Amino acid sequence: MALARARHAVVYPARFMLLAATNPCPCGFAGEDDRCGCSEAELSRHRRRLSGPLLDRIDICAGLSRASACSSSGKPLTSSSLARERVRDARERQATRLEAEGISLNAHMDVACMGRHLQLDARAEELIRDAGERGMLSARGQQRVLRVARTIADLRGGRRLRGSDVGAALALRPEAAMGPREPA
Amino acid sequence: MSASRPGADAAPGREAPLAAGLEGACETCCRHSWLLRELTVPLDYCSRDPARLMDALALEQGDLLAALGGRRREELAERLLGFARERLTPPAGVEALCRHDPRFPPALLAPCAPHLLFLTGAVARLQRLVAAPVVAILGSPRASDYGVEMARAIARGLAAAGVTVASALADPLSAAAQTGVRELAGASIAVSGDGPRAAAPARWRSLQAHVRDAGCLIWELPGDARGRRFGAIAAQLTLAELAAVSVVVEARERPADLAGAMLARARGRPLAAVPGRVTSPLSAGPHALLAGGAALARGAHDVLELLPVGPPQGATACEEPRAALPPRLRALLERVCAGSDTAERLCAGGDGDPAEVLLGLSELELMGLLGRGSAGRYLPRG
Repeated sequence: MALARARHAVVYPARFMLLAATNPCPCGFAGEDDRCGCSEAELSRHRRRLSGPLLDRIDICAGLSRASACSSSGKPLTSSSLARERVRDARERQATRLEAEGISLNAHMDVACMGRHLQLDARAEELIRDAGERGMLSARGQQRVLRVARTIADLRGGRRLRGSDVGAALALRPEAAMGPREPA
Repeated sequence: MSASRPGADAAPGREAPLAAGLEGACETCCRHSWLLRELTVPLDYCSRDPARLMDALALEQGDLLAALGGRRREELAERLLGFARERLTPPAGVEALCRHDPRFPPALLAPCAPHLLFLTGAVARLQRLVAAPVVAILGSPRASDYGVEMARAIARGLAAAGVTVASALADPLSAAAQTGVRELAGASIAVSGDGPRAAAPARWRSLQAHVRDAGCLIWELPGDARGRRFGAIAAQLTLAELAAVSVVVEARERPADLAGAMLARARGRPLAAVPGRVTSPLSAGPHALLAGGAALARGAHDVLELLPVGPPQGATACEEPRAALPPRLRALLERVCAGSDTAERLCAGGDGDPAEVLLGLSELELMGLLGRGSAGRYLPRG
C-alpha cells in the first residue's frame, strides 16, 4: 500500500484477507417473507452504507438465510474435514501452477500472470464479454471475477475455466458491484 | 369535463412580445400558474381532501384568490395586476405550453387539470407521446421491494408493447417505472409537482436526465416552486387525466395515495390495481380498489387488455425473451418466479447442481430477466 502525501511517499506491506458480515436490512429480517418491515427507502439507505467502490473490491458476497429447525437437524451437505481437504487440494494446485511466477495463490496473480495462466473456454469468454458490454463489471471487477473463477475451477480440479466457473463467480459478486441498481 | 378548448379564439395577451420558452403560454394561464405558486400553502391544506383540491384547482383566478387568498388576498390581487409573464421565463431547454395553445394535450382540458405546463423535449415530442396509448403508473411515496419490482416489470412490458408510460418522478415506485422504460430505451412522460428550476433529488437526477433526453418531463408549477404535498397530489391527478388506463401498484388506503385512482374512476376510465400481501398496509389501497371493481393487474399483459383501443402493434414483444429461453433457463426462471429466489433455496434439498444454478442465475441476469434484490434475492424482471 503506497501512501503519497506532499513530498513523501511511504510503502507499507498490506496483504490481507477481509471477512465481513452485515445485516441484510435495518430490521434484520429482509428475505424472510412477511417479517421485514423496512421500506424501499430504508433498504436503499442501508445498502448505501457500503459504497460501490468498496464493494467492487470484495470478491465474494453470499446471502445467508436464517437456519430453520428443519435444515439444522438435517444431514449436512459436507463436513469441515472434507471442506478442508478440498481447499488444501485447491491450494496445492494453485501453488504448483504458479510456482514459476514466485507466488502461490490465485489472489496474488497480476494481469500479466492471469493472461498466462487463465485458459477460458468459449462459454466462459462469452459470459465475461457480455458482462463487460452490459456495464455490469468494471475492469477491476472483471479481473476479480476471473481470479474467483480460477479458484472455483481449482476446487473442482479443472485445468480450463468453464462457463459454469465464470457464471458462479459472477453470481457471487456483490449486488452493488454488478452495475447500477436503480432505484436505490 | 369540457372537451372544447377554452378561449381558443381570443386568448388574452398573445400579441405581447414573447420571452424565450414562453411562446406557447398566454398571459392568463401564466397568471394562474403564478397564483398557484403563491397559494401553495393553502393548497397544501386543501390536499388533505383530494376532492376539495380538485374543486379549488377548477376555480378561475378571481374565485381561487377569494377562496384561498385569506389575509394575503388584497396583496396578491395587487401583485397579480402588475404581473408580467416574463417572470415565469423557464430555464433553457424548457418550454411553456398553456391550454389555449392548439398543441396542448386534449386529455388535459378538464377544469382541474393544469392551465400551464413546463416541459422538456419539445412540444412535438409530447404530442407524439400522447398520440400513443398512455398508461399511468401510480402509487404511494413509500413502496416495498415488491412494489418497486412490479412497477418496473409492468413499465418494461408496456414500453415493449409501444405504450407510453407516464408516472411521477419523486419516489421509488415511480422511479422504478421510469427505470423499466429506460431499460428498453423507451420514451416516457414524467410529471413533477415542482417547478423546473427546483433542484431534483440527487438520486433521481440521472433518470430525470434520461426522461428529458428521450421522453418528456413536465412540471406544473413555475420557477423554483416546491409543490410539497399539493404538488405530489396534483401530479397524480394530471397523470390520471392524461392516461387511458391508470394502474395502482402500491398505496395505503387513504385519499392522498388514491387521488389519481379516484379521479380515473370518476372519469370512467379503466383502472387496474396490483394485488399484494393482504397483511401489508401498502397493498391495502390496491385491494380496496380491486374490491371496488378495479381490474386485476398481474403484469403488463393484464394492463394491455384494458386499453380502449386494444393492445398496440407488437404488444406481445414483452413475452418474447422468455419464450426463446432454453428449457433449463426457463425452468430456473419459473422457480425464481415461484418464490425460490435465492441460490440457497434453488439448491436446497439437492434440487439442482449448485454450479449449474449459479451459472443459470448469471445468464438470466445478463439477459436482463433477473435483477438482484436485498439479502441475496433474485427478482424477475420484464
